[in-house]
Amino acid sequence: MPNNLAEAMEVAGRFIAAGEEFDWIAGGTDLIPNYKWHLNPKPNVISLANISELNQLTRTHIGAMVRLQDLTENEEMHPLLATAAGSIASVMIRRSATVGGNICLDTRCFWYNQSEDWRQSIDWCHKCDCGTEADCRVIQNQNDLCVATYQADLAPALICLNATIHLASPNGLREMPLSDFFELDGMKKNVLNRGEIVTHITLLEDSYSLIGTYHKLSQRETWDFPEAGIAATWDGKSLSSLKIASTGIESIPRDHSEQVEAAIESWNGSQSIDELSESVRKSVKPVNNTGFQPSYRRKMVKVLTRRSLKQLGIK
Amino acid sequence: MSDDEEMVGYRQQPGKISFSRPGSGGKDQFSTLRDEGMIPESQGGNKSQPWGSHRHDELVTSSAIGKRTPLIDSREKVTGRAKYGDDIRLPNELIGKILRSPHHFARIKSVDTSAAEALPGVIAIATGADASAKFGVLPVTKDEHALAVNLVRHVGDLVAAVAAEDEATALHALQLIDVDYEILDSIHDMKEGLENSENPIHDRGEYHIGEANIQKRVYQEFGEVDNVSENAAATHHSNWTFGGINHGFTEPHAAVANWDSRGRLTLYTPQQVPHYLHRSLADVLEIPMHQINVYRTFVGGGFGGKSDPFPHEMCAAILARKSGRPVRITFDREEVFLTNRGRHPSHIEMNLHADSQGRLCGIETDALIDGGSFASFGHVTTYYNGVLHTAPYEIGAFHYTGARVWTNKPASGAMRGHGAVNSRCAVEVGLDDLADQLQVDPMTLRLANLLPPLSATITGFRITSTGMRECLEKVRKASDWENKFRKLPLGHGIGIGCGFFISGSGLPIHWDPNKFPHATVHLKIDMDGGVTVHTGAADIGQGSDTVVAQSVAEVLGLPLDMIRVRSQESDTSPVDLGSYSSRVTFMNANAAISAAMKIRQELLDATAEITGADAAHMVIGDRRIYVKRDPAVGVSYLEALHKAQEERGALVASGAYRTPPMGRAHKGAAAGLAPAYSFSAYAAEVKVDVETGQTKVINVWAAHDCGKALNPLSVEGQIIGSCHMGMGQVLSEEMVYGRTGHLMNGNLLDYKIPTIHEMPHVTPIIVESNDPEGPFGAKEAGEGPLLPILPAVCNAVYDAVGIRVDELPITPDRIHRNIEKLCRAQGVSDPLDLTTPKLKLSSLQETLAKRAAEHEQRDIDRRNNDGIEPYHNGALFGYDPTLPADEQSDEWKVSVIPTSEYLAEPRLAGSAWKHTERRHRGESS
Repeated sequence: MPNNLAEAMEVAGRFIAAGEEFDWIAGGTDLIPNYKWHLNPKPNVISLANISELNQLTRTHIGAMVRLQDLTENEEMHPLLATAAGSIASVMIRRSATVGGNICLDTRCFWYNQSEDWRQSIDWCHKCDCGTEADCRVIQNQNDLCVATYQADLAPALICLNATIHLASPNGLREMPLSDFFELDGMKKNVLNRGEIVTHITLLEDSYSLIGTYHKLSQRETWDFPEAGIAATWDGKSLSSLKIASTGIESIPRDHSEQVEAAIESWNGSQSIDELSESVRKSVKPVNNTGFQPSYRRKMVKVLTRRSLKQLGIK
Repeated sequence: MSDDEEMVGYRQQPGKISFSRPGSGGKDQFSTLRDEGMIPESQGGNKSQPWGSHRHDELVTSSAIGKRTPLIDSREKVTGRAKYGDDIRLPNELIGKILRSPHHFARIKSVDTSAAEALPGVIAIATGADASAKFGVLPVTKDEHALAVNLVRHVGDLVAAVAAEDEATALHALQLIDVDYEILDSIHDMKEGLENSENPIHDRGEYHIGEANIQKRVYQEFGEVDNVSENAAATHHSNWTFGGINHGFTEPHAAVANWDSRGRLTLYTPQQVPHYLHRSLADVLEIPMHQINVYRTFVGGGFGGKSDPFPHEMCAAILARKSGRPVRITFDREEVFLTNRGRHPSHIEMNLHADSQGRLCGIETDALIDGGSFASFGHVTTYYNGVLHTAPYEIGAFHYTGARVWTNKPASGAMRGHGAVNSRCAVEVGLDDLADQLQVDPMTLRLANLLPPLSATITGFRITSTGMRECLEKVRKASDWENKFRKLPLGHGIGIGCGFFISGSGLPIHWDPNKFPHATVHLKIDMDGGVTVHTGAADIGQGSDTVVAQSVAEVLGLPLDMIRVRSQESDTSPVDLGSYSSRVTFMNANAAISAAMKIRQELLDATAEITGADAAHMVIGDRRIYVKRDPAVGVSYLEALHKAQEERGALVASGAYRTPPMGRAHKGAAAGLAPAYSFSAYAAEVKVDVETGQTKVINVWAAHDCGKALNPLSVEGQIIGSCHMGMGQVLSEEMVYGRTGHLMNGNLLDYKIPTIHEMPHVTPIIVESNDPEGPFGAKEAGEGPLLPILPAVCNAVYDAVGIRVDELPITPDRIHRNIEKLCRAQGVSDPLDLTTPKLKLSSLQETLAKRAAEHEQRDIDRRNNDGIEPYHNGALFGYDPTLPADEQSDEWKVSVIPTSEYLAEPRLAGSAWKHTERRHRGESS
């Protein structure tokens, strides 16, 4: 168990050099259930529990090992992050689950998040094919793309707050806007290379001038992953500051700046709110692999977007 | 007390220090006076009895009954000391794991266990070859094996079992077992089950219905069935789809088997029905029952899901016998879902007819239920889907067709509210629609059509007490119904639903009722004064140990801490039929009272002997027996006890309960018969988000007639818990099967049980109708309270948005789809512009209100009058109430065989009758 980041990188480097597979483990609330179901388990895990650098939490710096519950309880934190974090799972899970783990949450699919016996019974799927080159069970007759759904709540909120993500690997450090972190494919999910981890997220102090909302669609008020989630922010004055991002719809969270920019070019009050919500709806393509039907989830993207914009006081 | 005081009867040898005079026993040194507020009027006490006196009144001592009592085993549970199934740890134990079928339906060509056997740490392996005997909870439908013989019938069916030194080894061994399957065509749609099939899932021999997958079919018609449609002023028609529901209990199944050195088996298991397991074990293991001790552990929730004898229990016993070591098998949650026995997925077609006087002139129900791969309790479920909605309303005609089919899914079975829940929901929603059509208040419609106390239903059930009217009245008041119904804004609504349920099944499953009682209780009291209660009633968390302790404590005038209940082992417990059909309080407490009465008499006699007073004038108070008019004349409980024990030592007594003869003679007449019935009415207030379709229940006013709340705390817990469980079915719970036929959500993340956040504020309202045969007047409160919440929520959704629900659960996507339809129908684009139903009362309202008021007086007269005349369903339609209507007119049909006319155009489940049983086709299997 490494005691600092340098040691962690060294341990990872050794595994890579030896050609051994491994996973990082932080809070374990995502990884351990998956391991119990034998979903792509690795022979080794490297614990991040003792790396104190990753625990730092300030207004502008959120360590990857910060527990989700700490985000909800920290009064310094941006209210949008507290809201989004507070919507995740349950208090008990949030006391273990981490910010980094939530950002890097494995994508989910009802053909994938099942026991080993169950998956064997359907002859596996692309995401965990056990060497069989099985097809995707959602979009059949293909095994190029995994369409498992990204269902983490923090990402859209952080994207809307213009967060930067910081990574470390045995080869060095790098950073990027959070929206660039994700990479389309339910298996690849993000830009992380082997041995690379998320160290922290930074926010600009300016982000605190933004007001934000997060609307989550789920069957229950607690425990559930989002079937759709919409975050939105603006500075309360200028439409050009408006940002919208979604989660729970596709394999990665989406930054809807494109739809926003198109809408604000010819903004026309409440009619434009409807049009923008509609264009956000049109821009997403959920598939049938979560609890609710994809057509419904897509329609709800519009409803949640409209509610977000209205709640932000946009006219 | 000084040492030299004279102590009659307790003198020590000369020179020795004398014993103290026996005190009163119990924790407190001094006994307290009787609380006259709890002593019934009939006994000169101050407790008013608006529903009349009761045969147990003279036994009331104000000790325990009617007091809010924390369950006597609750400390064990909250401190973590309680031992549930998987907590049993025996030295030298092995871990058992089960290999399950990956196929929906397949023939097993061969099973090769040699590689698994060779794995170090594997001690025993069992396959279907190790136990060929069939078993099942109902003797008429024994269709299960410990491990698959020849066929596997669903994904997850048991194929082989391994006992190994540890779990990892056992799991590894499962992978080494090589099974060769021939895959057969599986069926997943219950409608297909009605058709002939090349390979029916089971073979019922000469009783096989056609060549189809029909496990059970029922046809019943009663009353003026021919004129129903013509007489109808309003008709409701609906086609319901109900998803399958799992019990969702906390504790997964677990079993530990141990054979002792004398060759006796002890099986530790969290069972609701230890006795039927006991019988099945004897069948499967081929040893006599006396060689088996079934040990019921603490049960972490059952709700019907632990009431079958289970294959894994057999497997544990078989592996333990083979290995010579204890074997423990514990399920994971997926295995619990694959074992299931939950509520049947169902298609229910419901037609209700009301005539111009607002009478229910006809109920026509057609219920097709999906039994999955085994019979379980399904025979009974098929009846219950019909017969359990023949009350609380008086009806002019009842036509029921039901069929249960096998499909290649985990078996459905009994779940809280067994067989009554879905069709009750359909009836109550239908009544709401009829009220709408007739332009009357749905509460008034119900109040004007209720059967009175001491009456008989259309199929001949004997209603003793009923508090249905009081339930409705109390809910109407508590919910502020008059100011809310049809008056709340869009997205906010209130609805009503009623329930009716058996308080114990009149006929036991396994034996002739003339030969054995349903429940037996033994009491033993030695010189210490504590009472040991031996009962086989299975405490599954519902508090049956507490109720039996309360009953004994009440009769003997003792504090609860002097009662200890031994209910876990079949070796020491008299047989009880088990915790199903809400029978335990009614039957077991009656048995306990009858045993305690014998002890009581002995104590009174002993007191008479000591004091010289007449036993007939004595009463029992808190640990003291005395002359009622002169409390100074009396002795302590221990003094009386010791006197009674002088010649014979410990007092022992046995009491039993058997149901009285009941019911009519037609085929299936016994299904639904009960010594008493519970009634309930709930009003639910909901908010529906019309843009997202999300429904939130915010308030429930829940009135339940349990006869007499022996433990009001428990009754309220049952009511609130029932609201939670029923709300799960109505809002979010469903066993979802995907396009490949697999269960898609066999885990508690994706199977959506409501959380505390979804819980509304529930106001439990207890109605006590004082059942003449119930213990101290009590009836059930375990299952009945679940029924009304479903229709109450559905009807509230209609009030809120104008959507008539006909598919459960009402997940947001389903409601949203209906809202879109409604928007199109109303020609609005924004759901916020929808118009909700309004209440316009017709002149019929006044007629109904008048009739309800007359009936209220009728009911009060009946319940307070000893010499009342019989009342048979049909009186409301002009028949002489004192005779069954079919004995008065040929128009009033009683038939259980479909006519050829019906068969020409059968309904969905009714089409099961187009097949002929093999024995009538001149063929045999």
